Amino acid sequence: MSAFDLLIGALVALFCGLDRTAVSQIMISRPIVAAPLVAWFLGEPLVGLQIGMLVELLWLARLPVGAAIPPDDTQVAIASSVLSINLSRLLDTPETELLLLCLLVAIPLGKVGQYFDRFSRQYNIRLLSRAEAYVDSGNLVLAELQHLRGLLSFSLAAVGTYAVIIFGGFFLVPVLWPLVRQPLVLSHSWLQLALPLVGVAVILGTINVSRALTLFCASFGMAFLLMWLV
Amino acid sequence: MSLVLTRIDNRLIHGQVLETWVPYVHADCIVVANDVIAGTPLKRMMMESSVPSRMRVEIGTVEEVAVLIASGELDNCKTLLLFGTTIDALRAYRCGLQYQQLNLGNLHAGEGKTRLSCTIFLDQEDLDALQELEQAGVTISARCIPADTERSWKKLIPKGRKKA
Amino acid sequence: MRLSRKTRIHVWFRLLLLQCSWNFERLQGLGFFYALLPALRKLYVRDELRKVAREHLAYFNTHPYLAPLVAGAVLKLEEERAAHCEQPVAISDFKEMVAAPYAAIGDALFWGGLRPLAAGIALFFAAKGILWAPLVFLLLYNAVPVAFRIIGFVRGYQQGLQSVEFFQRRCLPDWAIHTKEAAVVVLGGLSAFLVFQHLQHQELVSWFGLLALLPMILLGLLARRGVSTLLLTLISAIIIILLSLFWVDVTNLIVM
Repeated sequence: MSAFDLLIGALVALFCGLDRTAVSQIMISRPIVAAPLVAWFLGEPLVGLQIGMLVELLWLARLPVGAAIPPDDTQVAIASSVLSINLSRLLDTPETELLLLCLLVAIPLGKVGQYFDRFSRQYNIRLLSRAEAYVDSGNLVLAELQHLRGLLSFSLAAVGTYAVIIFGGFFLVPVLWPLVRQPLVLSHSWLQLALPLVGVAVILGTINVSRALTLFCASFGMAFLLMWLV
Repeated sequence: MSLVLTRIDNRLIHGQVLETWVPYVHADCIVVANDVIAGTPLKRMMMESSVPSRMRVEIGTVEEVAVLIASGELDNCKTLLLFGTTIDALRAYRCGLQYQQLNLGNLHAGEGKTRLSCTIFLDQEDLDALQELEQAGVTISARCIPADTERSWKKLIPKGRKKA
Repeated sequence: MRLSRKTRIHVWFRLLLLQCSWNFERLQGLGFFYALLPALRKLYVRDELRKVAREHLAYFNTHPYLAPLVAGAVLKLEEERAAHCEQPVAISDFKEMVAAPYAAIGDALFWGGLRPLAAGIALFFAAKGILWAPLVFLLLYNAVPVAFRIIGFVRGYQQGLQSVEFFQRRCLPDWAIHTKEAAVVVLGGLSAFLVFQHLQHQELVSWFGLLALLPMILLGLLARRGVSTLLLTLISAIIIILLSLFWVDVTNLIVM
């Protein structure tokens, strides 16, 4: 593992993490974009593409509606890319199995992202009351600065989540690896299939379409038959 | 009468209701009980046009809604009932609109309101209204979207204020 | 007095930072104030400016892609107010009136519909190992939101209060449903593709690939019941790992 890699990871985590809520929402925060991006910087874009694919659909059904905060899939994708690229060099192992382990460790750890995010939104209330005071005293420049200070709290939340997953991963993955190596070698291709399918199933279960299941089964069956028979 | 969800949400119809609750409870009719919206044609039209055309929307004052639901016209629909404030919810209950469960979604901050959870801010009047509803046998819980865990509203109140 | 094009563009760019200070008390309130400030400074002075600025700090929340439509209209209304024209609807009422419906539409159309659709299509490329998949996603996804942001802002400014018609005539909620249906179809095809690709690797392609539908429907029903994604993922991972161990034992026995 190299500190330089972790730093690059942190920069991407910051850059993509801010896109989630604070800045612009051009969706560079989606795992399918963020994971290949960081992996490309670290020289192994295909690892990132694989991770992006596995994580992208998992929480796609959790919408950032109103005050609801979805799990931080951006940091899960970025941190597990950094972890699996670095640890595979360190442990000198084939990547796919390790990649899955990193991901399975990162997914529950990503839960802290929600807490950090909630915390920063809580903290921002203070910025609001300060801005109000500045407006009342006629100092509009300072009032608008308060808004930009919100960037800081969201950045801290993003990088904090990233750091938690990275540290957790660096402790847990090498410990777990000898234990689960054999089972993962046997099941990795099935796991790789299962993660996106779980995501699709959750989307099906929660999407607001009345005949979702019919449409889904028809298109699945049709596509499968086409590929199999043609 | 089939009320699948009764919710207090100061934003009334918005993303959380349409995107998460409607599929979760399989609602096919949304009823909004709010005097201000019902009394302003433009607001009413805006609210109606944010709902897909295959869903039924009824917007009325609290009294109108209580009458509408009592009339049995919506008996065949799975109805999602929305109130803007706790006071409206209590008024409707007093008008004879009997619901068993009440969901607290968003009650935004205001003058003199204290924060009970991230999205729920209540003042003394709200607490009294909820207290009265609870004594009448309504189960009150706080849950922003279905993916959140449901919490009884009593757990949200800080210890010191429980008596009040 | 009319706002210059430069000021309007400034406001538009500031709207990209709308949610920087998102907070639980006023949501995007501070952000909306921040975005409008350059325009307010042009229109008002001193005490009046302070009063109007304070007003825009109020509770506000809408979908970030539709906020430019609101902001455009508010700029128009502010111009009218600064010129002391008669206004049928107060600006704060207008903001409150459009915020929730626009948010509902945006959530349904963009988060609920377009995002899974674009992700589904891009994942076909990713599954093939094509490195351009993220770009495919970004291009597919962003075309519509960017159009909404720009056209919305321009329309909002041109039409002011009438801009609400822009949104009523388009039956956007129904479009959102069509997009979601398309997303479901694409995701169905994607799942079939992933299953087929997997079976091809294992050299066992046959009709039983269709059986993958059963666990998926089961998982979907569980998700509908409110079981969390985290739990579903971990449970299915554990089941797969255990099954594969079991399978190896069985095949070992047969060989022996």
